Amino acid sequence: MPAIDLSRWRTGLWPVVALVAVLLLVGAALGGSDAVMQRVGINALIFVVLVVGLWSFSGVSGVVSFGHLAFAALGAYTCAFLTIPPATKQGLFPDMPGFLDFLLTVHTGFWPAVLIAAGVSAAFALLLSPAIVRLSGVQAGIATLAVLVTVYTVLLNWDEVTRGSSTMIGVPADFTLGRAIAMAVVVVVIAWFFSRSRVGLRLKAARADEVAARSIGLHVVRDRTVAWVLSAAIVGAGGAGYSHFITTFAPNQFYLAATFTTLAMLVIGGMRSLTGAVLGTLVYSALAEILRRVQSGQIGGVELPGGAAEVVLAILLLVILVKRPGGLTNGRELPVPRWPMRRGGGAEEHEASRA
Amino acid sequence: MILEYVIGALSGGGVYALLTIGLALLFSVMGLMNFAYGELLMAGGFAIYLLRDLPWPLMVLGTIAAVVVVSLIIERLAFRPLRDADAMTLLIASFAVSMLLQNSARMAAGPTALGIEPYDALQRNADLLGASVPVIDLVAIGVTSALLVALLMLLTRTQLGTQLRAAAEDFEMANLLGVRANRVIAAAFAITGVLGGVAALILILRQGTVSVTIGQMPLLIAFVGAVVGGMGSLAGAALGGFLLGAVTGLLDAVLPGELQPFRDAFVFGLVVLVLATRPQGLIPVREVRV
Repeated sequence: MPAIDLSRWRTGLWPVVALVAVLLLVGAALGGSDAVMQRVGINALIFVVLVVGLWSFSGVSGVVSFGHLAFAALGAYTCAFLTIPPATKQGLFPDMPGFLDFLLTVHTGFWPAVLIAAGVSAAFALLLSPAIVRLSGVQAGIATLAVLVTVYTVLLNWDEVTRGSSTMIGVPADFTLGRAIAMAVVVVVIAWFFSRSRVGLRLKAARADEVAARSIGLHVVRDRTVAWVLSAAIVGAGGAGYSHFITTFAPNQFYLAATFTTLAMLVIGGMRSLTGAVLGTLVYSALAEILRRVQSGQIGGVELPGGAAEVVLAILLLVILVKRPGGLTNGRELPVPRWPMRRGGGAEEHEASRA
Repeated sequence: MILEYVIGALSGGGVYALLTIGLALLFSVMGLMNFAYGELLMAGGFAIYLLRDLPWPLMVLGTIAAVVVVSLIIERLAFRPLRDADAMTLLIASFAVSMLLQNSARMAAGPTALGIEPYDALQRNADLLGASVPVIDLVAIGVTSALLVALLMLLTRTQLGTQLRAAAEDFEMANLLGVRANRVIAAAFAITGVLGGVAALILILRQGTVSVTIGQMPLLIAFVGAVVGGMGSLAGAALGGFLLGAVTGLLDAVLPGELQPFRDAFVFGLVVLVLATRPQGLIPVREVRV
């Protein structure tokens, strides 16, 4: 075997195979556990979808978005309109404005609804892209934040269509562990091959040095648009899955607290690698669950006031930012086990040291 | 009628100008967009609640002192270790600090809003050139103008002000020329604390309640105000904050009833548009590339 094939396997395929294996193992472990753990697991897998979606824009391009939960919200609401039984919908939305009447009669199964939700989120992202993708750094952060606030405000106040702050109800509770695993695996594979595609590699080049990338003729804005739309679609699908998991939801579930959670997961794992996104999510979720049990007195026997778990997680994020700004993975993908890694395995690994 | 709008816009704009100047000061000195600034307002709110039985001058001083102390603690514990980090890392860190403070407050005070007894003198309406305007708006305009003048004097007439401006322009160079980093950054945090404390007093006494999320919306508005105005310069930020506060106030007055709840959607949608057309803000800062 020529050496080039081995390096292709090491940097091109092994990480995604390993991550899928990890997800399947997590799924298998959860499959044999009790109902509470299964719900915790499904929740974590949904966050894997959301964070991997966020990563395929922010991780690959280096432009941090605070607005992706808006796409999750859009996905969740779109999916809810497609899967709540029409008879229930008539009762839920008595004042639906005329031009949206079709929402009361349409009905699809779960997976078509997920695809449509992803499509709607992608279309919305495409609409926003002229305003967003030209920005980078803090400006991009603020602009995406403004998108989040705008979408949140509309969802919260458009009572006739979204039921506002009174929750959306009646979504079928059929987001099983199997579906969650399937969605997470598909999303991880898509994100991986996107990041290894020409567009992905060009974006990583621009992430390392935008001016240099432009100077050699890379069309950074166009490539970013692709990543932005793709990541919105993934996050929209994640939101759709979430709606079938939680079944009752309101706009504030897709606002600043959830934004903080997804960003913390991404940063704790390491923003520059897909392994970081997945691992960060799993570690954060496990920790959050342990803290939840501590807070409610199930572990340690002392009940703590609400907010204690969040305080610990925020401190953890701060410590990571100070002590290990590259995250737990320091921007590396999973290394091939027991394989003598030669120095300089892949170009993008060098970049991690820049952080 | 017109005069009432003007007074409302001036007082709303003035408060947000205070907030955006605080944000822009930290951004220009250390590259920090401080998400946790909203929690300074929250801290101010709780200080007002705790000190509400004292005579009002003591309450005011105590509140401002409390906010300054919180601001300095944040600097020491969270942002000093991150001094050399890039702007994005700092933004995420300040997000973490914001969540940390908000949830600490939730642990201490619980999730429900606490009412603050209104001060009668502030709640009344006064007669001004035939128009009836709330006293609190007039006080707000007076206080914010005085504070802005004081800040301007501080920045232009004192040694500390010169150091602050030097650090804002080129931190490393200022450092090489003998400006002590710790001192000047702590001073910037203290100034933002004073500005935040005064803003908290105005906003929260007008609102009459305090809760753990009270700082969120003003912060978001100030955030985008600062970006719209241009983060690099204090004047630009002040203008941005003022405009956004004034637009918010104006929309409150002119939007028809059924669109009223969507006010923030209009404000933030506008911001996306401004950023799309002028990414560096309305008043871009001249950047000297070396």
